[in-house]
Amino acid sequence: MKDAGDRAGCLEAWLYNHADAARRSLWRRLHAPGQTLILVAVLGFILALPAYLWLLLENARALSADVDHEPRIALYLDDTAEETVSAAAARIDAWPGVARVVTTGSEEALATYRASLPDPALLDWLEDNPLPAIIEVLPLERSPEAVGALERQLADLLPEATIVSDHEWVRQLGALHAAGLRVLLVIGALLALGVTLILAVASAAELRERREEISIARITGATDCFLRRPSLYGGLLLGLGGGLFSLILLWVGVLLTREPVEGAAVVFGLPFAFAGPEARIGLILIGAGLVLGWIGGRLGSAAALWD
Amino acid sequence: MIRMHRVTKRFPGGTEALSNVSLRVDTGALAFLTGPSGAGKSTLLRLIARLERPTRGRIMVNGRDLETLPRRQEPQFRRSIGLVFQDHRLLFDRPVHANVALPLEILGYRRAEARKRVRAALDKVGLLQKENAQPQTLSAGEQQRVGIARAIVHRPALLLADEPTGNLDPGLSREIMQLFLDFNRVGMTALIASHNLELISALGRPMLHLENGSLEARHVTQPRSAG
Repeated sequence: MKDAGDRAGCLEAWLYNHADAARRSLWRRLHAPGQTLILVAVLGFILALPAYLWLLLENARALSADVDHEPRIALYLDDTAEETVSAAAARIDAWPGVARVVTTGSEEALATYRASLPDPALLDWLEDNPLPAIIEVLPLERSPEAVGALERQLADLLPEATIVSDHEWVRQLGALHAAGLRVLLVIGALLALGVTLILAVASAAELRERREEISIARITGATDCFLRRPSLYGGLLLGLGGGLFSLILLWVGVLLTREPVEGAAVVFGLPFAFAGPEARIGLILIGAGLVLGWIGGRLGSAAALWD
Repeated sequence: MIRMHRVTKRFPGGTEALSNVSLRVDTGALAFLTGPSGAGKSTLLRLIARLERPTRGRIMVNGRDLETLPRRQEPQFRRSIGLVFQDHRLLFDRPVHANVALPLEILGYRRAEARKRVRAALDKVGLLQKENAQPQTLSAGEQQRVGIARAIVHRPALLLADEPTGNLDPGLSREIMQLFLDFNRVGMTALIASHNLELISALGRPMLHLENGSLEARHVTQPRSAG
């Protein structure tokens, strides 16, 4: 009875089915604007939150990189002969990991200090020079690991010296950044799971509303793939909307934060430009929205069809 | 087209809807399935469409053994069958033409081709002028005809109808039965369950009588002259 010639080819029929499912999904979304907007807003908010926190972390790291242009290690040497200090400085200068060594003898330091005082005669009351000699070492490599290794080398060479590294706080910041990233990852994963389940519940509810249609379609020969397809496209559409909305929210967050953060940085003497999201972030957010929407649609339709 | 061998269907709770039923309906034949309410007519049709599984026995439809038919091939199998229900089972959220187009959507027909076929099917059941109407604005007889158009729009090899005239007056019932005879004349095998003996005995087609889950006449061949 069937004249296959009138029917589209297998691939064409499959493509047509997909196009039709996508069109119907769009139609359904547009005809339930309230529900669509709420789901897009939930998805957008949940995507924007970790993205915003990530942006803050990245800016904090950029700030530390800006400040970190010249890490230096200072060795303070008390009661050490000028010759010993010079010899140690010369030796350190020859090390491969060292860019430059600046030595300030205790007498030189006292002279500088004297020059800075309004009444230099006050220092004549001192019996001895209380100031230590200082060897300032500028490492060649700026990574916290290289600076740390150099510090250990210096401590071995001059165990009596007090070593102060201004690179320490950068290392602390690096550790905080790594911990922050991990926390963010966990928060992001939990939020993603939550929003996927919300989308799954919404998708299952929508399929249940179409119970009669599904029952008739099944009797007529519809496969589960056919019945599931509108939910998957619906999920993708919500995901696309959510991704775009999250990008808008992210930009609003950045614009609200940029001025006060940059102002605060200036107060701390660390001028820097608060960076907004790059195009890459936009693509990741939209991609994440599409993936979560698809998974939500898949889970929801599987649950509804299984019921 | 249909072969059933010693088929029994027992529902959970112990009710035996069909007992040891064997029958054969040849390709191109039209037969009526008669019997009082509760005799097992609907169960038999549901077994043929594989909407139910038999407790015992073997069913072959269109050359396929339903016992060994994998679940994933069920949709493909159902596409060769048109089903008409007593309660029409139309979708009231869409117009008549969209109801009729449903099987074609599933089969992936192009929109223009589907439209053409839907119009042809509606023309056959005399409802072409109602293609854009909402189902709830139609009479019971018209709704049933929309259900029939949906069942035959993809030109299935086998048409199963469960009390298609159950809620209709005698005049409309005759019209509906005439439609089935017309489809059969162009080669569609049909098995129609009906308890309206007066109407179907006048049509001169074979009748399979079910009583308490058991069957009397068993073999229906293609008639030499179409009725």
